[in-house]
Amino acid sequence: MDIGNLFTIFVTAVLINNVILNQFLGMCPFMGVSKKSSSAIGMGGAVTFVIVAAAIVTYGLYHGVLAPLHIEYMDLITFILVIASLVQLTEMIIKKTSPSLYKALGVYLPLITTNCAVLMVALENIKQGYDFAEMLTYSFAIPIGFTLVLYIFSTIRERLDAAKTPAAFRGNPIALIVAAMMALAFSGLMGLV
Amino acid sequence: MYAVLLFAVLGGLYALLYYCNHKTPLPEGCENLKAECSGCKDIGCANHPAHDA
Amino acid sequence: MNRKENFTAGFIRENPVFSLYLGICSTLAITTTLNNAIGMGVAVIAVLIMSNVIISLIRNITPNEIRIPVYIVVIATLVKIIQMLIKAYAASLDTALGVFIPLIVVNCIILGRAESFASKNNVFDSALDGLGMGLGYTCSLIVMSVIRQVISTGVLNFTNPFDATQMIFEFRIIPEDYVISVFNQPFGAFVTFALLAAALAGYKNAKTAKAEKKKKAQEAAQAALAKEAK
Repeated sequence: MDIGNLFTIFVTAVLINNVILNQFLGMCPFMGVSKKSSSAIGMGGAVTFVIVAAAIVTYGLYHGVLAPLHIEYMDLITFILVIASLVQLTEMIIKKTSPSLYKALGVYLPLITTNCAVLMVALENIKQGYDFAEMLTYSFAIPIGFTLVLYIFSTIRERLDAAKTPAAFRGNPIALIVAAMMALAFSGLMGLV
Repeated sequence: MYAVLLFAVLGGLYALLYYCNHKTPLPEGCENLKAECSGCKDIGCANHPAHDA
Repeated sequence: MNRKENFTAGFIRENPVFSLYLGICSTLAITTTLNNAIGMGVAVIAVLIMSNVIISLIRNITPNEIRIPVYIVVIATLVKIIQMLIKAYAASLDTALGVFIPLIVVNCIILGRAESFASKNNVFDSALDGLGMGLGYTCSLIVMSVIRQVISTGVLNFTNPFDATQMIFEFRIIPEDYVISVFNQPFGAFVTFALLAAALAGYKNAKTAKAEKKKKAQEAAQAALAKEAK
C-alpha cells in the first residue's frame, strides 16, 4: 500500500480535479442547495455517505459478479440500480432509527439518486483499475472536495443574495459567474502534485 | 443468461425498496421539512414542489 | 397546449439548459468543440425519443407507486445500447465525450420529461415532445460550443464522427495570436453559460414587461370606454 500514491490520489481529487469546478459534476445541488451554509454541510454529509457506500458495493459487485461471469456490459445498469436502491435503503433506515439525523441529512437523500457525481465515482473506480485502498481514498476524496466547494460557495452566496444585481443576472446566472471565479482560483493549484 | 437474471434481481430489489420507503412514515416532527432547493425546474427530482399534493 | 406550441417550447420559452437548468453537468463539460456538441445532442435526442415512446406505451400497466424505478430501468437500458453503438461506430466521439455518455442516464431532462409528459400522453405526442426538447437541448449545446470554440481556438471545424480523419468543414475566424484559450477551461465554461442564461432571462423579462404594458393599456382603454358609456 503506497501511501504516496494514495496521497496523490487524494489531493488530486479534492483540489486539482475538483468534482464541481473541474469535472462539472454535481451541479444541480451546487446551484440549488447552496443558499445557506447549514444546508451545504448537511448536503455534503449525505453525499459523502452515499458515495462511499455506493463505491464499495459497486466495486464489490463488479469484481465479484460482473467480471467473473463476463457480463461487464451490464455495468451501467447494475451501478445505477445499486445506487438508487442504496439511497432508498438509507432513507428508510434513517427514518426508522433517528429523527434528528433525518432532519439533518435525510431530506437531501432523494436529490442524490440522480446526482452525476455518484455514478461518476462508481464508473471511474473501474475505469482507472484502482485496487481496494485506492478506491476507498478516491471515494472519500471526491465528496470531501464537493463539500469544501459547496461550503465556500454557500458562504459567498449568502452575501450575494443581499447585493444588488441586474435583473437578468438574479439567481443562477450570477451564482455561475461566482463559480467561474472559484474555478479560476482553484486552477492555480494545478502544479501542486 | 446471467445478465437477465442479474437485471431482474436488481430491478426487483430496487422496486421493492422504493415501495417500502414510500410506505414508511416520516418520524414525528419531520413532516414539513423541505430541502429548500430551488436550483432547477426538474420534475423528476423528488424535491420539486410539484410532488407535494 | 396544442402540439406546435409544445414542440417549440423547448427552444426559447422552456429551454431545458438555460431556462430550466436541467442537464448542466454535461453541457458545461463537453461544449468545447462543435463535434462534441452535435454528437452528444444526437445521442440525447435518440434516448429521449425512445424513452418517451416506451414509457408512453407502458404508462397504463405500470403500478403508480413504482413508476420512478421503472423509468430509471428503461432509461439505463437505452443509454447502454446507445453507448455500445457509439463505441462501435464512432470511436472518436466515445473518447471525446468519455464518461458523459453513461451519465446521460442521470441527465435530469430525460427523467423529467418522462415523468411530466410521457406518463400522461399518447405515443405520438410523447415522441414529438421528446424530439422538441432534444432539439432545443442540441441547439443550446451548439450555440455554446460555437462561442467557446471560436473564442478559444479561432477555428470552427467539424469532422465526420464515423471517420475521424475526414474533415467536413473548417474556417478560421479569429487569427491565432488573438485567441483567449481560457475559454477551453472551466472558467470559460461557467462564464459562457452564465452570460447565455442571463441573455435568455433578460429576453424573457423584456417580453413579459412588454406584454404587461400592453395589458395595462388595454385595461385603461376599457375603463375609459366604460366611463364614457355611463
